[in-house]
Amino acid sequence: MLHLIDRISGICARLAAWLFFIIGGIIVFEVVARYVFLSPTIWGEEMSRFLQIWATYLAAAYVLHTRKLIAIDVVVNKAPPVLQKILESCALLVIMIFCLVAFVYGIEIVIDSIRVGRATSTMLAVPTWMTEIAIPFGFGLMFVQALAELFRTVSGHKTSSPTLH
Amino acid sequence: MTTVLILLALLLLLFIRVPVAFALGGLGLFLLWLKDINVVMVPQALYSTADSFVLLAVPLFLLMSNILLKGGVGKDLFNAVQSWVGHWPGGLGVATILSCAMFSAISGSSVATAATIATVAIPEMIKRGYSRPFVLGLLAAGGTLGILIPPSIPMILYGVITEESIVSLFMAGVGPGLLLTGLFVCYCLIYSLFDKNYKASPKASWSERVSSSVRALPTLILAVVVIGGIYLGIFTPTESAGIGFALSLVIVLILRTLSWEKLKLAVMESMVTTITIFLIIAGAKIFGKAITLYRIPQDISMAITTNIGEPWLFVLVVCAVLLIMGFFLESISMLLIMVPVLHPALGPMMLDPIWFGVLFVVMIECALISPPVGMNLFVIQAVAKVELGEVVKGVWPFILMMFGTVVAIYLFPDIVLYIPFKL
Repeated sequence: MLHLIDRISGICARLAAWLFFIIGGIIVFEVVARYVFLSPTIWGEEMSRFLQIWATYLAAAYVLHTRKLIAIDVVVNKAPPVLQKILESCALLVIMIFCLVAFVYGIEIVIDSIRVGRATSTMLAVPTWMTEIAIPFGFGLMFVQALAELFRTVSGHKTSSPTLH
Repeated sequence: MTTVLILLALLLLLFIRVPVAFALGGLGLFLLWLKDINVVMVPQALYSTADSFVLLAVPLFLLMSNILLKGGVGKDLFNAVQSWVGHWPGGLGVATILSCAMFSAISGSSVATAATIATVAIPEMIKRGYSRPFVLGLLAAGGTLGILIPPSIPMILYGVITEESIVSLFMAGVGPGLLLTGLFVCYCLIYSLFDKNYKASPKASWSERVSSSVRALPTLILAVVVIGGIYLGIFTPTESAGIGFALSLVIVLILRTLSWEKLKLAVMESMVTTITIFLIIAGAKIFGKAITLYRIPQDISMAITTNIGEPWLFVLVVCAVLLIMGFFLESISMLLIMVPVLHPALGPMMLDPIWFGVLFVVMIECALISPPVGMNLFVIQAVAKVELGEVVKGVWPFILMMFGTVVAIYLFPDIVLYIPFKL
């Protein structure tokens, strides 16, 4: 079960990483279209922002899992192991509460947008739920990942070494 | 009173190792909830953070510098510079600093700059008998030029928070960047007078100079395109980052130095750094909204303007606070916590916000190399595989030079403001 969660986070993270790569391509295309073909696209900027929203929150769970989130270590590192475990669990609980709120209220926004039929005020008029759903998805996944990390911390499981590729 | 309580709560969360993003976001959420404000604000803030075209410059600049880093461009750059100045007294040190400065012009991150140049320069300098603390300190400090010389990720974030022009900020960083580069170079020259243990490199022949410079040329052209394009208004910073990213791919493909595996690694690492930064921005945004409802920034800036009459005293206090924060906090967090609080006080203090942004970045550079927590210390420690203490021993002269730069830009604001506004 834990491995399954890690795997899903890993796949989402790789997807996110390449989304940023694709966004780079879109922006280059946009610049070339404007200066070389003198016809800027109507979708370039909006599309790249949409993909950025997805990429950012898709990868959040993986960043938590690989312990890459920026935190202050100096104090906790000097504490005895038992206390370290307790503090780590507290930190994970804070993360879980935050994720839960983002998840629940994120879904509320999505439902609301679908009900009202909200769309962006640009030429594309993209339904906004298509990007808003990235928030509950990302933080839902992060909540589950945090739960897995909490289980590992409490049960003394070694964090499986994250593998890329 | 509320201010003190909130500050203590934040410190407590940070010290028990809650990640910065969630310490800010979680505390912000709690404060909103206490005031009975609909916490639907939380997902809204998360959404609007990532829904930003300006911030797209962050992942793209990171992709560019990571691709060049993995493509071994640092080696070409270092070899080229070395062939010109390597035989000077302290020549390898000078070459290291100049390489860092040049790479800074294509990299917006000091960590990427330090890592790129350190991988080639450290073994080379140790081999030539330079003392280890000097070498390690030099690279840790040289890497920090990455965020002062444009492009610069902290400047992008400063621009986003304060709604100041990122282009002006970039151009304002050029003067102090060159000043600091000059100071570091002078230090290398003076240092070489006292250290007789190192062996100067042999003078390179003209054919060596030409061939190594040709190999480094694409990287220099890239720097000119990225910064020149922004300066002339051809690209926005985000577009310039996109173009730079595409060109860096072309360069490493032509040089045939980037394997598929290395590309995947560069893409993954850029993504991880981006997400850590974006999550902190989102957390800071929620925290910022909450403390604004509690009128904390207004109160602090009131307290500052009533108690501190003189701008110089304000600058001194800010620098002292940033220095202390810099011991423990990583640079992006420092920026995102402090700038929203300090920004309202700049007007009454008659300080130029662009000038203040550059001052802030120089203080961030100090934070990057001040122990116990300094990202560049960790990078150099990892690259050179040494004890942290050895790196720390070498950095203090550079911290002093950074203080010198702060004093210089206070006394002569034109070092900062001439290029963006008077040129």
